[in-house]
Amino acid sequence: MDNMKLAKEKVGDFLAKLGKERFRVPQETGGSSRFAPLNGESSVDFTLSNTTVPLKSLFYPQTETLYRYEVGETAMKAPGEADEMIIMGVRPCDAKALTIVDRLFSWDPKDPYYLERREKATIIGLACQEPRLNCFCTSLGGGPASTEGLDILMTDLGESFLFQPLTEKGEKICQEAGDVLVKSEDSDVQAAEKVHKDAASKIVRKIDSEGIPEKLPQLWDSQIWKKTSEPCLGCGACTFLCPTCHCFDIQDEIEGLEGRRYRVWDSCMFKEYTLHTSGHNPRPTRRERTRNRINHKYSYFVDKFGVIACVGCGRCINLCPVNVDILNILSQVKEAL
Amino acid sequence: MADLEKLRAVAKETVSRDDVKYLIGWRQGTYGFRVSPHFITEPEEADKLIFSPLCSNNLATYLTLVEKLPVPRGQEPDTRKIALMVKGCDSRAVVQQLVEQGIKRESVIIIGCPCQGVVDLAKVEEKFPAVLEQVEARWDDGKIVFKLSEGEKAVPREEVLADKCLRCRYPNPVTADTLLWEKVEAESNDEYADVGELEGKAPEERWSFWEAYFSSCIRCYSCRNVCPMCYCEDCILDRLNPTWVNRSNNISENTAFHLARAFHLAGRCIECGECERVCPVNIPLMKLNRKLTKEVREKFEYEPGTDPDSKPLQASYRPNDQENFIL
Repeated sequence: MDNMKLAKEKVGDFLAKLGKERFRVPQETGGSSRFAPLNGESSVDFTLSNTTVPLKSLFYPQTETLYRYEVGETAMKAPGEADEMIIMGVRPCDAKALTIVDRLFSWDPKDPYYLERREKATIIGLACQEPRLNCFCTSLGGGPASTEGLDILMTDLGESFLFQPLTEKGEKICQEAGDVLVKSEDSDVQAAEKVHKDAASKIVRKIDSEGIPEKLPQLWDSQIWKKTSEPCLGCGACTFLCPTCHCFDIQDEIEGLEGRRYRVWDSCMFKEYTLHTSGHNPRPTRRERTRNRINHKYSYFVDKFGVIACVGCGRCINLCPVNVDILNILSQVKEAL
Repeated sequence: MADLEKLRAVAKETVSRDDVKYLIGWRQGTYGFRVSPHFITEPEEADKLIFSPLCSNNLATYLTLVEKLPVPRGQEPDTRKIALMVKGCDSRAVVQQLVEQGIKRESVIIIGCPCQGVVDLAKVEEKFPAVLEQVEARWDDGKIVFKLSEGEKAVPREEVLADKCLRCRYPNPVTADTLLWEKVEAESNDEYADVGELEGKAPEERWSFWEAYFSSCIRCYSCRNVCPMCYCEDCILDRLNPTWVNRSNNISENTAFHLARAFHLAGRCIECGECERVCPVNIPLMKLNRKLTKEVREKFEYEPGTDPDSKPLQASYRPNDQENFIL
């Protein structure tokens, strides 16, 4: 299918044509941003950089009901069907992150909740123009205009957005939009390529991950873990806001005779994460927990699924209150290898 | 005036002592305006210590955050002291921990750094583009001077300092074993204008204000973990049997969490502002804390962390204590 173009003043028409209720877009609530339904608004703020809470919250929400039950009954009630979603304004790193966690959720057993949402979602990405200081996507096979995980790549050309459909789902959206979109010129594609190239050249932080996955476990007793974890507060900011972190806990809530079983994000940086009933904790301090966080991303996940579970979005660096910096840890790892 | 030579010399001397396990101070972070807590056991590591308007972290939290592993059979517990660098507000945390007997006086060495105020990183980042190279900063007569690669830039302190510093009444450590330099002058008063502003609103308006923030909370617990006064070994938030606060993230549970957190700090919060600083979703937690601080000050004339010989508010009783708010 041809590349298309959406004039900026027609964004409202685009949303209306496809049905506003289907859209999920970056939105600010309180003092942070995340993907949320349009809420009756007729436009989208595409100037928001990467959202504080990553895209994953739409696919595995922080709290998700697995089933409901009544005490004394054996029947379980499944939650309702997932909504169809068109997610617009996704940064390429967040989309790439989904392709990484896809491997986990479609492993054994397949996760029906996550996979149904993936199936029903169309992702319209927005190429980054102003990568942030701690973005290092280009070190991990991504980039400000990476298309992995996207159905359409959108590029801001000033007056309009270039729409490059990448999958059948993406083409379908372009067809549905009809004459709200117009065909693009060759010059538009060239302009977009320049935008992509300029953005990539603005990325300053880098890591060479060569050799890390294979050799990282050899540094099990290294002083790196003690030194880098000393300031760590043991909070869940780095993991909850990581687009690839996917650990969850399963809990029950019962009110009267009605109950539900749900899952909720968990963090390997919490002390109760590996706490045994006996009181023993195989990861008793933040040293072991920090070591696990890095090893899981850069070694265990690679071992199992063939890909590093980090996309270089920089959130864990930006939001760590005590400057635990994954790139700094990785460069110390590289030196020690 | 911050004297780094003195600071490092005292640190070297302290960390060389046989009865000191380690010292906690600040060092330049991995990039830009960031600073990181610096744990040192060797004198040579003291050369990285700094004290500047970028040193926001309240290091007192590490006194109670330390994870104690079971002592292997046949070994004695390590009772060596922990040395800690404190600003005025940080020292109030140490004092409150002492008052509550959360730590023992003989287990800490307090190195006091009279402080002219630390920056609010968000205000700094609005003024300067993010940079990779480490930026140093210093106080200079009502201005904060940043040493950038293109040269020094001075900014009036009011434009970049944290709100808590612009109304700080305790810039000097209230207790210390060593005071590193001369005391500085305190801001004259704190009228709790920020609290008053919210108090003046109708309940519905106040609720919609908090609802937006509480519903965006991700329950990462960075506010709890960074708080030097949140040191219960068995926190109600972690309890499962009974489950006081459900793990589910929704407005009901999130509100329960935030109210529990704030109320457990009534008469204990020393207003270092760390909870608000670290919150990744920018919840203005100090507004909640300061409402309680204000009540405690007005009703009981009590200010936590200002007198090592005092008793905790909830453990002290005076016959003339107000009780008109008890139903």
